[in-house]
This record gives sequence, C-alpha cells and structure tokens, in this order.
Amino acid sequence: METLGHILNGFSVSLQPINLWYTFVGVFVGTIVGILPGIGASASIALLIPMTFGMDPTSGLIMMCGIYYGTKYGGSTTAILIRTPGEAASVMTAIDGYEMARKGRGGAALAVSAIASFIAGTIGVVALTLFALPLASMALKFGPAEYFTLMLFALTAVAALSGKSPAKGMLSTVLGLMIATIGIDLASGQQRFTAGVAELQDGVGFIVVVVGMFALAEVFRGLEQLYRGTAPEAMRIVGKLWLTRDEWKRSVGPIWRGGIIGFIVGVLPGAGGTIASLLSYTTEKRLSKHPKEFGKGAIEGVAGPEAANNSDTAGAMVPLLTLGVPGGGATAVMLGAFIMHGIQPGPLLFQTRPDLVWGLINSMYIGNLMLLILNLPLIGLFVRLLYIPSGILYPLIVAISVIGTYAINGSMVELYLVLFFGVAGYIFEKVNIPVPPLVLSLVLAGIMEQSFRQAMTISDGSLTIFFGSAITVTLVIMAVVSVALPFILPKLKKLQGADAQIGA
Amino acid sequence: MKADRIIVVCIVVLAAVYFYATEQLRTLQIGDPLGSKAIPRVLGVALLVAAGLLLLEMRMAAKTDQPAETVSGPEDQRHYLVVGAVVVWTGIYFAAFEWLGYAIATVIYLYALMACFNRGKWKTNALTSALFSFGSYLVFTRLFGTQLATGVLPF
Repeated sequence: METLGHILNGFSVSLQPINLWYTFVGVFVGTIVGILPGIGASASIALLIPMTFGMDPTSGLIMMCGIYYGTKYGGSTTAILIRTPGEAASVMTAIDGYEMARKGRGGAALAVSAIASFIAGTIGVVALTLFALPLASMALKFGPAEYFTLMLFALTAVAALSGKSPAKGMLSTVLGLMIATIGIDLASGQQRFTAGVAELQDGVGFIVVVVGMFALAEVFRGLEQLYRGTAPEAMRIVGKLWLTRDEWKRSVGPIWRGGIIGFIVGVLPGAGGTIASLLSYTTEKRLSKHPKEFGKGAIEGVAGPEAANNSDTAGAMVPLLTLGVPGGGATAVMLGAFIMHGIQPGPLLFQTRPDLVWGLINSMYIGNLMLLILNLPLIGLFVRLLYIPSGILYPLIVAISVIGTYAINGSMVELYLVLFFGVAGYIFEKVNIPVPPLVLSLVLAGIMEQSFRQAMTISDGSLTIFFGSAITVTLVIMAVVSVALPFILPKLKKLQGADAQIGA
Repeated sequence: MKADRIIVVCIVVLAAVYFYATEQLRTLQIGDPLGSKAIPRVLGVALLVAAGLLLLEMRMAAKTDQPAETVSGPEDQRHYLVVGAVVVWTGIYFAAFEWLGYAIATVIYLYALMACFNRGKWKTNALTSALFSFGSYLVFTRLFGTQLATGVLPF
C-alpha cells in the first residue's frame, strides 16, 4: 500500500508543470540529437549536466532521462532515410526501413517506428515499475563484496559483448579503470599519476572523456567522410505518414514481442539496444510467413527492432536505479549525472528519495507520449535537420562541446583533455576498440575500488570474502564465464563441426 | 592484423610505463591494508592479460581463412592529413580560447572550418559562425549564468 502511495506521489511529481516542461525539453533535445549525426545520447547528456547544476535534481534527471530515450526515437529517422543509424541500436532498422523508403513507403516506416517505440517504450516502463521495487529490496542484502563482484560482472559482460573482439573490449575496460586511478586516492589521500598538474588532483572528469570520445571523435570521422565524399545523403519522405490495414496487422505481433525482448535484454549488463534489436529482427524473420521479404522492405523488420531498442532503455534503468550499476555507456553517463547531483542510485534511494525515483520513472510514461506526438505529426519538421550541410553542423558540434566542457570548471586543461580523448576516440574507432566499456569502467571505478577496499577491510585483507556467499560466488563465476565464453565457443563449434563430419 | 600487432606493442609499452609510474608512488600504509599502489598494480597486470588475449584472438583468426589485407596507396591516406589538420586547428582554437575569448575565437574557428568543408557559401558560413558564436555566448552567459572566457571583449 505504501508502495502504491509512492508511485502515485511520483505522478504528482512528474506532472508538476516544471517537470512536464523538462520532460518535454529532454525528449525534444533527444529527438534532435538522435536525428543529427555527431552527438549521441552519452555526449549530449554529458554536455547538458553543467546546465542542470542550478536545477532541482529531480527536474535535471528527468530531462537527462528524456534525452536518453528520446534519442532512440530520433535514431530511427536517420536509419530509415539515410541508411545510417543515428544511434547504434537502430542498425537493424536501417536494413528494411531504408528499403521501405526506397519503395515509397518511407512515411509508413517512420510511422511504424514511432508507434512501435511508443508501445514498447510503455511496455518497458510498466515492467520497470513492476520489477524495480522487488529487485531493490533484494539488493538491500548486498554488502561491499557483493557490490564489487556485481560491478566486476557488469564490466566483464560489457567488455565481452561490445564490439567484435572481447580482448579489445577488455583493453577498453582496463584503460577506463586506469584513467580513473588518476587523482587523489580517497583511501590514503595520496596523489596518483597527476604529473604535478593541479587540475588532475580531482581526477579526469567523465564528462571530458565522454565529450571527447563520443562528440569530438564523431566530428573528426564526419569531416573525414565529407573530405572523402562518402557522407550519406538523406532521402525525401514519400507517402503518407500512416500504415495500411495490412501493414498494421503485420506490425502488432513484432511490436509486442520486441517490447518484451528489449526489456529483458536491457536489464542484462552489456547487451544493450543493438543486441535487443538484432534478437528481435532474427525472431521476426524466423516467425514470419514471408521471411524472403526481410532485407527488402519488410515492415516487421522495422517494427520489431524499433520496439526492442526502445523497451531496452526502460530495462537498462532497472539495474541503474535498483543496484546503482549501469549496464552500458549511456546509463554510465546517467549514473555520472546522478552522482554529480549528489545522488547515489541504488536500493536505498527507493527509501530515501521515493519522490525522485518514482517521479523519474513516471515521467517516462509522459515522455513516451510526448515523443509519439513529436515523431508522428511533427516528423516532417525534424527531418529538415537532416538537410543541414554537414560542413556547418560538425564545426558547431565542436563549439557546443567546448561550452559544455569549459562550463564545468572553466579549466583549459580539460579542454586539451577533450581534444586528447577526441583523437583517442577517432583512433579507437579505426582499430575497432569499443568506447562504451571505457566510459562504463571510468564511471564505476570509484565505487568499485571503494567496495573492494571496504570488503578487504572487513575481511582483514583476505580475498576469501569474495567467495563467502552464494551471490558473490555466482557473480564471480558469471564474470569468468563472460570473459572465457567468446574464446571457448568458437573451439566448441569447431569440435561440433568435426564430430558432424566424422558422423557423416 | 597489422593494426592489432601495433596495439599489442602499445599495450606492452603502456603497461611498462604504468608499472614504473606505480612504483614511484609514495605509500602510507596507515589504516589501509592495500595502499595506493595495489589497484594500479592489478590494472597493470590486467593490461598485460588484455594483450595476451588479443594475441590469442590474432592466432585464432590466423587459423581461419582471413582475406588478405588491402594495401592502400598514398592518395588513400590523404584524409588522415585532413583529420590531422582539423586536430591542429582545434588545438590552436583552444590555445587562443582564453586570450581571445569564447565569442571571437569561436567565430574564427568556425568560419575557417566551414570555409573548408562547406565551400563556396561564404555568406552562409560567415553569418552562421558569427550568429552562433555571439548568440550562444549571450544565451549561456546571460540566461544560464555559465562562465565562458571573455578575452578581449569588454562584456
């Protein structure tokens, strides 16, 4: 009963005019960011954090959360009209969405994408409402050892699942942890790796890393594409922005299935929207009565993946809010935003700040509705953004990045660091090293080291504490398996293949 | 594969530098059983493990049939020079940022980049760079109270 009261109170928070305004600003900016190349969800949330310092934390977090799920709506527009996903999670939409646009059904593709996003987004938020509290109650039993092993598992899972090479994922994770060791060691008060630079005593800010590696690196890539003449061109919307009866009938099932798949995948660390949409796409292809249409403009190939990648955002909020452990790059930046507002997400937050938690969760219902309105009748206006010349857009992104970075501390060192991480992000992309594990480990490193040291103090320096409970043992095994599996699986497949050949 | 080999070498060099820097840290082991060197040492080892795993991946990939690497000519590498020039220009922008101030430094930076990548539209480029720079300066400093470098401007 008390919980129901908190949930209802959450609606009174999210329906306050000021929070409705910030929900709108968030989803509006999110849609724009999703459509425009250059700044993704992570970088835009990071850039807006300094602007929210003067705001009430609930309003600020509602706005940033709006950006997070708003980008998923916008990402599909670029996927459909220029075959380039605005967000990585829209990669599957680009296949059939673009083919639909080529056949003059671009309007229908955009419409089904918006409707699927709305329905699945709402499914995701309902599931988040239902599962958040039981999980938070369970997480109250977690001690420092459980937290450390949980974060270890999150990092190994993200490292193993990001990109094609688990080794490079692990490298990215370790580099993030190494960057986090720069600054004053909180336990001993000692300076580490600051090279005598006073600005580095507080460590390298995650905003600096995110802006450099996501926004600036994307600018370098975009300008390179412009020079090479390989920048994609946007198609015009042809056809009505609505579905035929047959298209609607074919989309209902994929939307529901995509919504469920997306939520489940979103809860798991490391998997993320890209895997959710890929799973949904393969499921729909398998279940479809006309699988040969896939890749040539099948509406199910847009409806399912779009539903999955939107529901995934609500799923990803489950571990972030209930455990304080993000499962990917964008939620890691969200965690950073929470911390910068002096709020530590986790099970205790549901007891200490139910107004904030439920206000934030309930704002997602309203935000999804706003996004449907923005992305159906107003999509024609947003699409015009795609026609802004990239030669103008990319330089402006650098200037926005400068404002966002300099506004935090007014530090020139941080500006140079942004440039350094921008170059690093550009090189990482060239050599296929994924960036999200680095951001995730950078954000988690402080809490992880703290948990590790607390656990070691409790156990008088004995590592056995990490094997002392069923939860820690399970999490350690899962962490080891997630690292080992990508190396063992190909060998097993090879052995199976050899067995089959012998059998034949 | 060639890039991966370079990555492995870079990791090993980085790990060596990191280990050396870790050993230079001073330790005060009062009330902290681990000390400030413990975590960096673990990370140094993890870095070497990552290098080992990458070597393993390279070996596994070499066993399967991989397409031969395409050798690109010097004309294919020109875009790297362009990106390098953009990086240097951005560095100059940052260096002049506090001296000239956000608004003026940004106008110059934006106009030069737009002139290169949005050629032939000098009026649009000039107008966009000036309007954006001064507009964003006023919005962020006056409306949001954000601090931005004033430089030579009196306001």
